[in-house]
Amino acid sequence: MPQKIQMRLASNRVDTSVVINRDIPAIYTPGQIISNQNEFLRGHGTYEENGQLKASVAGVREKVDILISVRPLKSRYHGKVGDVVVGRIIEVQQKRWKVNTNSILDSVLLISSVNLPGGELRRRSAEDEHMMRKYLQEGDLISAEVQSVYSDGSLSLHTRSLKYGKLGQGVLVKVFPSLIKISKTHFHNLSIGVSLILGTNGFIWICPIINNTEENVGGFVQNLEEVVPKSIRATMARIRNCILALAQSKVMLFDSSITYAYEESTKYTLAELLLPEVMADVALSTQQKLILSETE
Amino acid sequence: MFTTKSFIKKNKIGNFLKNVREHYIRDDIVCGFSSCYSCQNIQNNQNIGCSKDNFSSNHVNRCKLVEGNHYLILDTNVVLNQMDVLEDNLFGNVIILHTVLNEVKHRSLPIFKRLMSIIDNPSRHFYVFTNDHHKDTFIHQEDQELINDYNDRCIRKACTWYHRHLPKEKFVFLTEDNESKRIALEENIMTFSMSEYVHNLSDKHLVEDKLAKVSSSFPFTGKDIYQAHMSLVELLEGIRGGKLYQGTFKASRENFLEGYINVDGFDDPIIVQGREGLNRAVDGDIVAVALFEKEHWTSPTEIILEDEGVVEENIDELVEKEKEIKKAIKKKGDIKPTGKVVGVIRRKWRQYCGILEGGIEGVYQLFVPSNRSIPKIRIETRQAEFLKTQKLIVTIDSWPQNSRYPHGHFVRALGVIGHQDTENEVVLLEHDVPHSQFSEEVLRCLPKLPWVITEEDESRRVDLRHITICSVDPPGCTDIDDALHCRIIDDNKLEVGVHIADVSHFIRPGTAIDLEAASRATTVYLVNKRIDMVPELLSSNLCSLRGGEERFAFSCIWEMDYEANILSTKFHKSIIKSKSAMTYEEAQLIIDDKTKNDDIAFGLRGLNKLAKILKTRRLEKGALVLASPEVKIHMDSETMEPLEVEVKKLFETNSMVEEFMLLANISVAEKILQDFPDCAMLRRHPTPPSTNFDPLVKAGKHLGFDIQIDSGKKLAVSLDQAVSDSNPYLNTMLRILATRCMLQAVYFPSGTLQKSDFFHYGLAVPLYTHFTSPIRRYADIIVHRLLAVSCGADSTYPDLLDKHKSSDLCQNLNYRNRMAQYAGRASVAFNTHLFFKGKIQDEEGYVLFVKKNALQILLPKYGLECTLYLSKKGDESLFVYDEEEQTQKAGNVVFHAFDQVTVRVSLDSKNIQHEKFVLQLVYPYIEGFSVKPLIESEGADKSNMEQQTMDYQDKCNEQVSTMKKNKRKTQSNNEKRKQKKKV
Amino acid sequence: MSRKKELISNIGLRLDGRRAGELRRIRCKLGVFSEPDGSAYIEQGLTKVLAAVYGPHQVRGGRSKAQHDSAIVNCQFSMAVFSTGERKRRPRGDRKSTEMSIHLHQALVAAIKVELYPWTQIDVYVEVLHADGGIYPACVNAATLALIDAGIPLKEYVCACTASLANDDIPMIDISHQEEVMGGPTLTVAALPMSKKVVLLEMSQRFHVDHLPKVLKTALQGCVDIKNILDVTVSNNVKEIGSSTRWGNMT
Repeated sequence: MPQKIQMRLASNRVDTSVVINRDIPAIYTPGQIISNQNEFLRGHGTYEENGQLKASVAGVREKVDILISVRPLKSRYHGKVGDVVVGRIIEVQQKRWKVNTNSILDSVLLISSVNLPGGELRRRSAEDEHMMRKYLQEGDLISAEVQSVYSDGSLSLHTRSLKYGKLGQGVLVKVFPSLIKISKTHFHNLSIGVSLILGTNGFIWICPIINNTEENVGGFVQNLEEVVPKSIRATMARIRNCILALAQSKVMLFDSSITYAYEESTKYTLAELLLPEVMADVALSTQQKLILSETE
Repeated sequence: MFTTKSFIKKNKIGNFLKNVREHYIRDDIVCGFSSCYSCQNIQNNQNIGCSKDNFSSNHVNRCKLVEGNHYLILDTNVVLNQMDVLEDNLFGNVIILHTVLNEVKHRSLPIFKRLMSIIDNPSRHFYVFTNDHHKDTFIHQEDQELINDYNDRCIRKACTWYHRHLPKEKFVFLTEDNESKRIALEENIMTFSMSEYVHNLSDKHLVEDKLAKVSSSFPFTGKDIYQAHMSLVELLEGIRGGKLYQGTFKASRENFLEGYINVDGFDDPIIVQGREGLNRAVDGDIVAVALFEKEHWTSPTEIILEDEGVVEENIDELVEKEKEIKKAIKKKGDIKPTGKVVGVIRRKWRQYCGILEGGIEGVYQLFVPSNRSIPKIRIETRQAEFLKTQKLIVTIDSWPQNSRYPHGHFVRALGVIGHQDTENEVVLLEHDVPHSQFSEEVLRCLPKLPWVITEEDESRRVDLRHITICSVDPPGCTDIDDALHCRIIDDNKLEVGVHIADVSHFIRPGTAIDLEAASRATTVYLVNKRIDMVPELLSSNLCSLRGGEERFAFSCIWEMDYEANILSTKFHKSIIKSKSAMTYEEAQLIIDDKTKNDDIAFGLRGLNKLAKILKTRRLEKGALVLASPEVKIHMDSETMEPLEVEVKKLFETNSMVEEFMLLANISVAEKILQDFPDCAMLRRHPTPPSTNFDPLVKAGKHLGFDIQIDSGKKLAVSLDQAVSDSNPYLNTMLRILATRCMLQAVYFPSGTLQKSDFFHYGLAVPLYTHFTSPIRRYADIIVHRLLAVSCGADSTYPDLLDKHKSSDLCQNLNYRNRMAQYAGRASVAFNTHLFFKGKIQDEEGYVLFVKKNALQILLPKYGLECTLYLSKKGDESLFVYDEEEQTQKAGNVVFHAFDQVTVRVSLDSKNIQHEKFVLQLVYPYIEGFSVKPLIESEGADKSNMEQQTMDYQDKCNEQVSTMKKNKRKTQSNNEKRKQKKKV
Repeated sequence: MSRKKELISNIGLRLDGRRAGELRRIRCKLGVFSEPDGSAYIEQGLTKVLAAVYGPHQVRGGRSKAQHDSAIVNCQFSMAVFSTGERKRRPRGDRKSTEMSIHLHQALVAAIKVELYPWTQIDVYVEVLHADGGIYPACVNAATLALIDAGIPLKEYVCACTASLANDDIPMIDISHQEEVMGGPTLTVAALPMSKKVVLLEMSQRFHVDHLPKVLKTALQGCVDIKNILDVTVSNNVKEIGSSTRWGNMT
C-alpha cells in the first residue's frame, strides 16, 4: 500500500507547547537551597548538606506539615498502595512473576496474589507452580493493583479482582507516569466503543469493550480468535494517536481530556493525526476545552 | 553580552573537507573616536579597553586634495605595496580595518609585522577597527563571490559606515586598485590612489621618494626587453607535468648575465645565461626554469662581466655583452644542463644596501647594491645629490617587461660613504644584527641605583666574600663575567671555584629585557663598537665582576686533588668580592714573579698547575688544537682610524682560564641534562663529513704528512706530528686549514636529538654547554636558569620547559651567533682595509694554496688571505704549473704550499664599494715578475711599480679581494665555515 | 619566534569574534525523546550533542553487577561518523570513546545521588552529532540535563568547560576546534559549580604549573556560567511542563 511519509528538517519543527499562563509555583532545581533552617523534615527530592536543605531534582516544592519534598515533573513511577497499573511480565520465577511497571525496581506478582482458574479459594499446589508459565509468560501484559510497597521501594501487585488480569487484544501506549491524572477510577468504557485502562504507571491500555462479563475466570484467558471490527480498530488507533498528541504537549490524561481530544480529532483523518501540526492543534483545542469545562 | 548570530563559513582544504566556523557579530565594537558619544557609551558599559584616545587631535593629515583634517582608511594593496611610505611619521590617524589586517597577514607576514609595529606605536595613531565582527559593517559573502571582491566590498561598507557614523569627520579611502577606486567613488566614498594622495601632501618632505613604483610610472615605456613570464597556474601545471623545474635562483657574482638554479634531483645546477635566460630573476627568487634540448647546453662561461649600463633605454651594451658570453662559451667543451627562466614562483626581494651610480643627472637614479649578485635598481628621487654621498637602503617594487632594471624606491640613508659609523651600520644591517637603542620598556626593567645587597639576598646566597677570588680577562674588558679561585682545604685536596656573573638574577623570564636579550642572543663585537645584549648598566656594572666590588655570582665549586681529579662538584648562588681584575698579561707576570707570595699569586699558580694537567688530559682524549689568525686592531682614539693591526698575543693564562671555563661548562651540562632530560640547553659540535677534510689531507700529502681523519683523536695526533724544522709556521698553517674543515657548533635542547648526537667534536667531550658568559650570550642565561632550578635557587617558568619553544630559541641563538661572527669579521676586514688605505707595505706571508694561475697567500700579521696572480689572462705565464705536485715553477724558483714569501700589499680603491688588496711578489725575486723591496725601489721604481699595479689591477678587478670573497664563500656555504674556537 | 598563531588579537577578540572570557552560544533543550526516561540536546557553538538517560531501573543481565548500596551508572559515549571533518571509521569502541565514557562516568557519579537507588542501574547514552571542540564538556552538560529531565536526584548540576591560554598569557574559555588545533594545551574541567568542587581535570598536553591556577580559575568560572545558562533552561522546562499539565497532580 503506497503511503506518504512525512520528513522534515529540524528547523521546521512545530511548537507543540500548549502553555497557559497561570500562577507558577516556586520552582527548584538541583542544588538549590530550599531552607537554611533545620526546622524541616527532608522528603523526596531533597537532601541536607551543611545544615541546609537543598533540592536534588528539578520540580515544585510540596510541603506537608514540616515535611518538605520536591517533586520532579517527570520521573519513574513511584507506586502507592491501591494504584492501578498496567505491566508486562518479564520473568517467571518460582512462586512469582516479575513485572515491569516502569518503576525503579521490578514489581512482583506472587502466585498467591492471583486468582487462579478454578475459583478463588483454591489451594495453591506445587502443580500450580509448574503451571505458572501457562497462566502468564514473559511478554504478557496484565492489569493489576499495587498490593504493598516493600522497604526497598519495589511493588507487590495483586490481580484479585475481576477487573484485573491478563490483557488480550488491544494497544499499549506508554507515557510519562506524571501525565496520568489520579482519579477515582482508571477503567473507562468510552461511548465510542473503546475501553481504556489508564495505568498510574504511565502504561495505557486501549481495547475494545468486552461485553462477556459472565466469563469470570480471573482474567487469564486471552481471546485472540475474536475478530475486532475494523471500525473499532480505527477508533482505537485514533484514541492512541490522540493520547500521543496530548502526551507530546504535556496535557494531563484522564477520561474527559481523552474524550475531548477524540472529539477534536474527528475533523482529521487517522493518518493526519500523526502530523505534528495536527497533533499540536488537537492538544491545544483539548486544553482550551478543558479550561472551558472547568470554569463552567 | 554579545549578539549570537552565527553564520557558516565553508573552507575547502585539499581533500574537500567542509569546515564550518562560528563567527560572532558583536555590538560592542567602537569606532575609536573619543568624541563619539554612542561608542563611548558602549565602551563604558562594557568596561573594555581604557578610554585612551585612538586618534590624536594634534596630528593633522594635510593634503591639497582634501579640505582640512581627515582620517585615512587604507586598502590592502596600499599596505602591501606602500609600507615604506606608511612607516613615515607623516601618516597618522589611520584606520586599519580588520579585513585589511587579515588579508595582509595572509599575503605577507613581514609586511604584517611591520604594520603591527606601527599599530603598536601609540604616537602613530593607527586604529584597528574590527569591521568583520561589527553588527553594522558585517556582510555575508555572496555565492560565487570571489574572496577579493568580498573583501573590497567589506572595506567599502566600513568606509560608508564611518561616513554615516561620524558625519562631521572626513574619511579618505586610499587604494591602488583602479577598479576598486571607481566603485568606491560611485558609492560616494572619498577615494584617492596612494600616489595621488602623496603627491598632493602639503608637507611631502621626502615621502615621495619612498613611493613604490607598482604600475609603470617611469617614463621609459619602450619596447619589451624581456620575455613575458608565464602565469602562476601555467607554471605550476608545467612543474607538475615535468616540463618545468622549480628551483632557487643564484646569480653569479662575476658575471651579471649568468646565474644558476639549484633544482632537486639534478646533480648540477641548471645554468641560465643572458637576458633571455635570466629573465628578470633576482638572486634568491624561487623560479620555474625550462630546460633546453641537450644540443643547446653550454658550460659556465668563467668570464667576468660587469654591468656598466647607466641609462635605461640603452640595451646595446647589453646585447654586446651577450655576444661576449656566446664567444666565451664556444671555447669550452664541458657542458652542463642549461635552460631559461620562464616565470617567478616567489620573489625573495628584500631591502638592499648600496650606493648610487655616479654620473647620472635628474630624478631617475641607478642604485648599485653592494651585494654583487643583485642587479642595479632604478629609483626615483629628488635628493640625488645628497644621496650620492650616502650609503642607502633601497627595496625592489617591480620589474616590468619593458624595463632593463628593476624598479625600486629609496627607503632610507645610512650615512656618508666610507665613514666608520656608516660602515658599522651597513655591517650590522647586512648581518641582521638588532642594534637599536634599548627601548624605554627594557630600561624600566633595570634595577634602581644605588643598588644594594639586601639581607634577604644574603640569606639566599652563600657568602664567599672572604675568599680570594680574582678575574683574568683581555685588556680593556668591561663585561667581566667570570672569576676564579683556588685554595687548599686539606692536605691533599684543593677547592677550585668558577664564579660566573649572576645575570639571571637581574633578567627575569618574560620581562621586556628578557625578550630583548633573547632576540639579540649575543653581544656583537665590532672593531670599535660593542652592541650589547643587555643594557650597559648590567653588562659593565652590576653584572660585571669588577675587582673590589661585591657582586652576585653563580658559583661552580669543585674539590680536586693535586692531580686535578674532581672529587665533588657543587653549584650555588653566591656573593663574591673579587680581589683583583687582571689582564692575561698581568696574571702571567704574577705567576712568573717568584717574589710574589700572596693569596692571589698562590691561587693563580695553583690554577695554572691544574689547568696544565687538565689540558694534557683533554688533548689525550682527542681534543683538537685549532688555529685561526685572530687580529687586534689598535684604533686611534680620536680619529677612530686604525693605527696598527696585530695578531692577538696568547699567554699561559689564556689557556688557564679557558680550561676552567671548559670544565665548568662540562660540569653544568652534565647537571642540567640529568635534571632536564628533555629541555636542557646544550651545545654540540657535529663530526664533519670526511669530504670536508679533503683539502687538508691533500695539503698534507704534498708535504709528506699523512693526516688521519678517522677520528678526532687521530686527527689531533697526526696534526701534532706534522712538524717541519725548516718551516716553523707549517704546523700552524695546517691547523688553520683544519679549522676550516669544521662544522659550526650549535645550541640545541636535549629533547630534540639522540644522546649520541650530543657529542662535541672539537673538545672531544660527550656533553657541553655554555654557562660562563651570561653577560654576552643568551644561551648562558637559559643555562643559568636551568641550573638555578636544579639547585633549588629558582623556580621554573613555562617556556623554559617547553621543548618546542627551546628549539625555536636555539634556532634564533644559532642564527644570531653566526651572524655576529660574520659581522665581527666583516668589521675587521673593513678596518684592515682602512688601515691599508694609501699604504704600500712589504709583508711576510705564506703560500696557503697553489692554484693554476695564482698563489693564495696568508699574511699572518694581519690575518689576511689574498691572492697573488701569476699570470695575466692571454699573456704567456712565466710559471709552470705542476698539478700533481701542486707547485708553480719559474726558472729555478719553485713555490710549494706553505712556503714563506714576501709580498707587497696595497689597496685598490678604484671601486669604493669593493676595495681590494693587490699583492706583488717581492721575495723570492723572479725576474720580470717580482718587484724590488720597498726600501730600494722607493722613488726610482715608483712609476714602474704603478704601471705594474695597473697591470695586475685589470685582472684583479675581476676578483674581489680574497678576504671578502672568502667571507661570501663561507656565507653561501656554511658547512665549510671554520669553527671559531671561542669558549 | 613563536610558531603559534595568535589566538587572540591585540584588540582582544578571538578568531571567531569572542572575547577571552566569553562562552560560545549555548542552546539546549530537555525532553527531546519520548522513549527514554530523560533526554536532552545541547549546542555549544557548533558542537552538538544528544543525551538519553534510562533508569534508574533494575540491573539487567546478571545480578552480579548490582550493588547493595548504590546505583550503577553506565555511560556510553559515541560520535556520529559524520560529526568530524573527516568521516570517522566507527562511532564507538575506539580508545578515545572508551576513555570518554570513563571520564563521563567519573563526572556524573560525582553528582548523582546513587546511594538512593541500590540494586539499580542508570544508563546514560551520549551521541556527538557535530564535533567542533569541547566535546567532553558538551557531553557532560547534555548528560546533566538529561539526568534532570529523568528526575534523577543530583547533588547539583555537574558542568564542564575547557580553557586554554591565548598568546601564552591570557586565559581563554570554551575552546573551539579551530583554537584547539592551533593553540596550546587545553584544560578540561568538570565541576560541581555551586560547591566549587572539581570532579575531573584533564590536560591535552603538558603545560607549566605557573599557568594552572589562572586557567583553572577561568575554566571554573566557565562552569558556573554554563550552570547558570542550563539552570534557566531547566526551570523554563519545568514551568512549561507544569503549566501544560496545569500542575496536574500537584497539591
